[in-house]
Order: sequence, then C-alpha cells, then structure tokens
Amino acid sequence: MAVSAFTAFQSSGLKIGGDYSVKFDGGDPSGEFKGLKGTINFDPANLATSNFDVSIDVATINTGNGMKNTHAVSDKWLDAAKYPVIKFTSKSIAKTAAGYEAKGVLDMHGVQKEITLPFTFVNNVFKGGFEVNRMDYQINTAEPKHGGSVFKIDITVPVTK
Amino acid sequence: MFKKYFLQALVSGILAALAASIYDRIYFFATEADFSQVLSVTRIISLCFLFCFAAAFLDWFLVLKLKRKGEVIFNFLFSIASFALIIIPISVSLPLDIKFPELFPGLAVPMVFFPAISWYTVVPLFRKDPVGKTQ
Repeated sequence: MAVSAFTAFQSSGLKIGGDYSVKFDGGDPSGEFKGLKGTINFDPANLATSNFDVSIDVATINTGNGMKNTHAVSDKWLDAAKYPVIKFTSKSIAKTAAGYEAKGVLDMHGVQKEITLPFTFVNNVFKGGFEVNRMDYQINTAEPKHGGSVFKIDITVPVTK
Repeated sequence: MFKKYFLQALVSGILAALAASIYDRIYFFATEADFSQVLSVTRIISLCFLFCFAAAFLDWFLVLKLKRKGEVIFNFLFSIASFALIIIPISVSLPLDIKFPELFPGLAVPMVFFPAISWYTVVPLFRKDPVGKTQ
C-alpha cells in the first residue's frame, strides 16, 4: 500500500484537507490546534524540491477546558497576542527506512530551533510526530513543573492536489 | 429508621433531578452549547439520585452513631462536599470535539448544589420537629 502511494503520488502544491489534526499530549494538558495553513510541496520522487512551510494558529488551541484554553494563550504561556502562529519551515526532506524525515526550523513563542520531523506519506495522508520541550522555547520557564514540560506532537494531514 | 432517610433521598433526588434537567434545557437554549455527550439527562438524573442516596446513608449512619451531633456534622459535611465538587466541572477536560468548553462550568457548577438544596428543602417533611428540638 505504501509502495503504491509512493509511486502514484507525485505532486507539489498540495492542499491541506479539512480533517487534519495537530494534537499535543503533555499528560495534563493535552489537546489540539486548528488553523493549519501554508504550503506543502511534496514529491516522493524528487525530495530535493519538496518542502513544507506551514503554520498553526496559536489562538485555536483546545485542551477541552475553557480555563486552560484561556491560560494557554495568555502571555504567561504561548502569548498568542505577541506570537500568533507556530511555524515550521523545512530545510531538507530525506527518505528513511520508516518513511521520511524533514529537517527544519520550528518557530514558536519567538524562539527558532532546528527539529527533525519524521513522517510517513500513505494514501495522500501525512502522519508524523515529534517531541518539544516548552523550556527550549522559553514558555513559562518560571514554572517548569506546572503541567507538562515535554509535549508529544502528533500530526495527521490529508492532502489533495 | 432508615425508611424515612430512604424516602427523603427519593423525594430530594426527584426534586434535584427535575431542577437539574430543567436547568440543563434552559442553559442549552440560552447558549446553544451542547454538553449532552458528557452530561446527558440520564447522567444528570442518575447523579442526583446517587448524591441524595449517599447523603441519606451518611446522615442515617452519623445520627445512629452520634445522635444529635451526627445531624450537625452531616449538615457540615454535605455542604462542604457540595462546595468541593465545584472543582470537578472547573478542572475537567472535555472531549476535543465539544464546542465552547468554557461554558461547561456555567452548566455544571450550579448543578452540584442541587442535591443539597433539594435535601434541605424537604428536611421538614421527614423530621418530627427539628426546630422544636433546638428550643
């Protein structure tokens, strides 16, 4: 199945499907973001020209709890007023044994850090995940034990031409 | 002796369930926020009866063991427990597909007091002369 998707799909300038999900899990809190947009150019046969330049809207964070949502976007945490988006811009995409990996810059809370995003691409759906430590991005460093510090990010993005 | 506590739990449970169900509908029509996935009418009614019967058992037990002091202690415990329960709707994380989670405490916080309010409303019907005893 992966092979057929690999060989059948050769495209760039992909549209993000509406049923994508960007979920985070730090124990408590956990939740999701909406507002994913940007440019996805991906051609399995030509990874050199493939790239991601995507962002999510910080204000769309949903933990399932209204009070936590309000806190999350406040200046104590993600500071949505000052840093309204979290952005990932790839620098390179390479094939791996399990799928692919994109190396690039994650821009969050005014801090840019290089990350590696492993992902698969099967049946026109990108699936990937990585971990971020909020301390690395200067997010409420005064309270390292308040809520989770390390968050597992899971991303599922169906795309169309 | 437990019969009157059982009846009190039943009557106060019905009152609480009725009040909570009416409030649930009013809140839905006022806000258009649907929390039935986590707080359905069935669950509301079940919780009202559960709390009222738990209160009845506790009241009966404390009065049995401590007589008059038991009633006083029960009243304090029931009130304190009702206040403490506020923390649940405030801190709970709802499923992510539920819209307007910030409106959930407005629905659920008042409801945690309905069993206690109903219980104390019907107390005079199930005590011979609670006022007279204190005079």
